[in-house]
Amino acid sequence: MKSQSEEKKYMPELSEKEVEELRKAITDTSQRVVAENIEKMKKADQNRPEAMNYFDEIADFAQREKEIRAAKKEGKKVIGYMCLHAPTELILAADAIPVRVNSGWYDASKLGDRIVPVEVCPMVRSTIGAKMIALSPYLELSDALISVLTCDAMTKLGEILSDYTPVWAMTVPRVKDSAQSIRLWNEEIKAIKAQIEALTGNTIKGKQLKSAIERTQKATKAFRRLQDLRKGPPVIMGRDAMLVNQTYMWDDIDRWTEKTEALCDELEKRVSQKNWVCPTDTPRVMITGTPMIWPDNWKVPTLVEEANPQGILVADELCSSERLLYDPVGVDEWSISDMLNAIGERYLMASTCPCFTSEDGNEDRINWLLTKIKDWNIQGVIYYVVRGCMLYAMEYTRVKKVLDRNNIPVYYLDTEYTREDVGQMKTRVEAFLEMLSARIDI
Amino acid sequence: MMELIGEILKLMVLSGLALAGVLVILIWKKGLATKVTYLRFLVQAVSMVAIFYLFTYPVWQLIILIVIFVLPLFIGRFFCGWICPFALIMDAITLIRKTVKVRYRLLPDKLNKFLHNLRYVLFLVFLIIPVALYLLDPPSSFDTSFLLAMLLSGPFEPWRILVGPLIPLIVPWEGPLAISGVYFSYPYVQEVILYSEVVFSELIVNIIAWVFVGLTFVGSFFVRRVWCRFCPTGASIAVVNRFKGFKWAPMLHIDKDEEKCTKCGICKRVCPVQVTEVYDQKGGKITTSMCTLCTRCVEMCPYEDCLKLKMGGKTVFKSRNWLEPSTIE
Amino acid sequence: MITAGLDLGTQSVKVVIVKDGKVVARSKAFSGFDPAQAAEQALGEALKEANLSMSDVRHVTSTGSGMEMAANSNSTVSMMGADAKAGVHLFPNARTIIDVGAEEARAVRCDDNGIMMDFVVNERCAAGAGAFIEAMARALEVKLEDMGLLSLKAERASSINASCVIFGESDVVSLIHKQESKPEIARAIFEAMADRVSSMVHRLGVNPEVLLVGGVAKDVGFVAALKRKLGVDILIPECPEYVGALGAALVAVNRVKKV
Repeated sequence: MKSQSEEKKYMPELSEKEVEELRKAITDTSQRVVAENIEKMKKADQNRPEAMNYFDEIADFAQREKEIRAAKKEGKKVIGYMCLHAPTELILAADAIPVRVNSGWYDASKLGDRIVPVEVCPMVRSTIGAKMIALSPYLELSDALISVLTCDAMTKLGEILSDYTPVWAMTVPRVKDSAQSIRLWNEEIKAIKAQIEALTGNTIKGKQLKSAIERTQKATKAFRRLQDLRKGPPVIMGRDAMLVNQTYMWDDIDRWTEKTEALCDELEKRVSQKNWVCPTDTPRVMITGTPMIWPDNWKVPTLVEEANPQGILVADELCSSERLLYDPVGVDEWSISDMLNAIGERYLMASTCPCFTSEDGNEDRINWLLTKIKDWNIQGVIYYVVRGCMLYAMEYTRVKKVLDRNNIPVYYLDTEYTREDVGQMKTRVEAFLEMLSARIDI
Repeated sequence: MMELIGEILKLMVLSGLALAGVLVILIWKKGLATKVTYLRFLVQAVSMVAIFYLFTYPVWQLIILIVIFVLPLFIGRFFCGWICPFALIMDAITLIRKTVKVRYRLLPDKLNKFLHNLRYVLFLVFLIIPVALYLLDPPSSFDTSFLLAMLLSGPFEPWRILVGPLIPLIVPWEGPLAISGVYFSYPYVQEVILYSEVVFSELIVNIIAWVFVGLTFVGSFFVRRVWCRFCPTGASIAVVNRFKGFKWAPMLHIDKDEEKCTKCGICKRVCPVQVTEVYDQKGGKITTSMCTLCTRCVEMCPYEDCLKLKMGGKTVFKSRNWLEPSTIE
Repeated sequence: MITAGLDLGTQSVKVVIVKDGKVVARSKAFSGFDPAQAAEQALGEALKEANLSMSDVRHVTSTGSGMEMAANSNSTVSMMGADAKAGVHLFPNARTIIDVGAEEARAVRCDDNGIMMDFVVNERCAAGAGAFIEAMARALEVKLEDMGLLSLKAERASSINASCVIFGESDVVSLIHKQESKPEIARAIFEAMADRVSSMVHRLGVNPEVLLVGGVAKDVGFVAALKRKLGVDILIPECPEYVGALGAALVAVNRVKKV
C-alpha cells in the first residue's frame, strides 16, 4: 500500500506514450518558435551587434542543458527558482547552479488545464504542463525548487510541483517595509540557507558568500550598463536587450557578465558613431506587467517592434527582464550575518512586485515607473497582463491614474498563452503606436 | 626667540594640514576618491591633529566652543560626522570590529530615541551643577559675574563638557597618564576625574576613569558610534531641527528624491547612528537631529541621484550608481 | 485634391471619396469571403458615382480590420485614428467618439486637431456590438430594422445578461418562456448593450460632446438606451457607417500634404 506522501497530490498519471507524444509535439513547436523569433530579431536589425550571436545560442536551451548535465555528473547540484525573490547568491555560494524555471510555452498551458481551472494564471498553468511532460530541461534538472509565495497561483504551483521535486517554500510578507516583515523574511533566508547547505553538503561561509555577492554585483553592473545605454537614442532593439536580460535566468553568471559587457562595448562604439537601430523619432515604449518568458511568450515585444508604425522598446518593468538584476545587494560590513541581512533586504524590499502593499499602497512601484519614464524618456506604456494575473490587473487602475496625470499614454493589453489572438492584438498595438507617433508629431 | 620659532613651526604645520584638507576636497571633487568612508577617515585624522594644535593655545578652547555651538545651526551635525576626534576613535574601534568580523548590535529604536533625548538632560545637568553649587554656598552678595565665572572658569568649568569629545588621545598639557614625557588623555576623562574627585579617593577615581574608558571602548565595539547617540555636544543642532522658526538655518542637509527610491532599505541598515528618517520620510529635505551627516547612506544608495547632500541648495555629493554606470551621457 | 478612404469592416466595405474636404461619393459592399475584391468593387462604384477615374485619386488610405488586404491603398490608419479624424471634422467640438460596428465597439478620446489621445476597444466578445442585436433579433423573430422602434414602445426593460452573445441569447429565450412582451425584451437587449458600451466610455471619461458613429448608430433603440446610460446628449452624423472611411480619406489628405 502506498503511503499518502508517496501518492501524487495533484498530478495525474499519464501514460509514457502520451507524455512522449506531447513532449515531442511541443518541443518541435518550441524549436520552431525559437528559430522563428531569432530569425525575426535578426531581420528587424540588419546590422545586429555581433555579441548577440552568443545570446542567440544560449537562448536555445539545448546547449546550456548539456553544460548543466555535465556539471551535475561532477556532483554539482541544481536549484531551480520560480520567482526573483529567491536569493540566488546563496545558491551560488553553496557552489550550486541557480536556474529560473518559469515556463513560457503556450501549448504547455493547455496541459495545465487538466489540473487547474483555466482562470488560473497561464504562466503557472504552463509550468505545471511543462512538468507533466518533462518539457523544460531546467525544471527537470533541478534537484530542488525554491517557491516564493508571492501570489495565489505561485503558492499552489509549489505545492503541485512538489509531486515531483522537493520544493522549499518561502513566505513573503505582503507588507514589505515593516520591522516584523523583515524579521520574518530574514528568518526565511536563514532557513533557506540551511536547506541549501543540507542539499549540497557545502557550508556557506563568509568567503564564499562574499564572492557570490561580488559576482552577482558584477553581473548587476553589466546589466545596468546595458539598461543605461538604452536611455539614449535606440542603439539596440528592445527584443534583443530583453533576450539578453532573460538569458541571465539560466546562463552561467560569470560568462553572462562577460558577454554582456562585450555587448555593451560594441553598443558604446555604435553610440559614438551615432549608429541607431531605428529612426530617433520612433515612439519609445515601455512594457510593464506580467512576466514574459522565452521562448513562446515573445509576441508583445515582437508586435511592438514590427508594427506599422513601428515602436521601440527602450525599457520594461517586468520581473522577467529589468527587475531581475537591477537592484544590487548593498553590504555594509562583510560579516556573514550582515551579508545575510543585506541579501534579505534586497530580495524583499527592493522589489516592486504588486504582490506587496503598504500604508501608501505600493507607492514604490508607481515611483519607480515614473522614474523609468523620466530617465528612459518613455512616450507610451503598454500595460501587459495575462488573464488570471489578478495583482497586475488590479493595480492597473492606479497606474493609469498616475500616468494620466503625467500625460503619458498607457494601453492595457490583456491576453492569454495563445498565438491565436496576435491579429487582434496587432490592431490594438498599432492604433496605440499610431497615437504615440501622432503625439510626437505635435 | 626659540619659542617664537616654535610657534612659527607650529603654524606652518597647521597650514600644511589645512592645505592637505583642501587637497582632499579637490581630489574628492574630481571623483578620484571612490569611497567616502576613506575620505572621512582622512578628514577626521587631519582634524584631530589640527585640534591638538589648537588646544595648545588655551584661548582657542573657548573659540572652538563657540564654533561647535553655533556651527551646527548652519551645517547640522557635520562636525560630529566628519571632525570630532572621539568619533574617530569610535570609528577606529569599528574598523577593528569589522576586521575580526563581529556583527554590530542594534539598539532598539525606542532606546535610541530615548538616548537622543537624554542628551538635553545631560547638557542641562552640567550647566546646573555650578548654579547649584552657587546656591548651596551663596556668596555674601548676589553677583552675576561670579556665576559667570563659575560657569566659565570655576572649579568645574561646565562648558568644558561640550569640548569633551574633542580631547585627542595625545594632549599638549600635563595629564594623569604619561609615557616618557608624552601625555595621554581620552575624551571626558578629565571631567570624569574632576567630578569623582569630589567624592572618592584617588584610587577609586582612577578606577572610575579606567572603567569609563573601558565602557566606551566596549560600547563602541558592539554599537556603532555609541556615544554619538547621546553626546551632549550634539544638542545644539536639535534646536534648529525641532523648532519651525529655525527651518531656514541648516545649510547642509540630506535630500531625498522619492521617485528614485525603491525603498530597498540600504540607507537604513548602513546608518551608524540608526537614523530611520532617511528611509521613512517621503522625500525632500530630511529633517532629523540624529543624523551626523556622515553620508554613509548617500554613498551606499544604489540609485543614481536618489539621495543628495545639499549645501545651501547646491548638491555637494549625491548617490551614484555605485556599480559605475556607462560613461556615455 | 481628391483622396479616397476604404473601411474594410467585418461585415461590409465602405468607400468615401473626398474632394477638397467635401464628400463627393460613397459606396458600400458586403465583405463576404473576399474583402479585397469587395473593396475594389466598392471603390469602382464610388469612382463611377463621382465621375472620376483611379488616376484622379492622389492617395488611398484604408482602415478597418481588413485594412491590409486592400490592394490599391497607399497607406493604412487605425480605426480609432480614422474615427477621431472624421469625428472632429464633422463636429469640431466632439471629444469623445464612440464607434459601434458589427463585431467591435470602440471609444476614442481626441484633441482639437482630431488626434486621438486615448482609446478603448471592447474585449474579444461581440456582445457590445451590432452582431449582438442581430442575434437577438433572430431569437425574437423580428426584423433587424424593426428592433429599435419596437424597443421604444416599452415602458420598462426586462433584465438580461450581456456578457456574452450566446448567454444573452439563452437569456432571451428564457424571457420568451416567461412570456414577457417583445418590446420589453427588445429594450432589455439595448439596455444591456448600452451598459457594456457606456462602461467602456466611462473608462475614458465622458467628455462632451459625445459622438456616436458606426452602423449601430442608425438604430434608434440603441441610441435611446445609450443616452439614458451616459446621461448626456449624443450627436449622430448622417451616414454614421461611413465615418471610418471618411476619416481614412481625410487622413489621406494629411499624408499627401506631409510628403
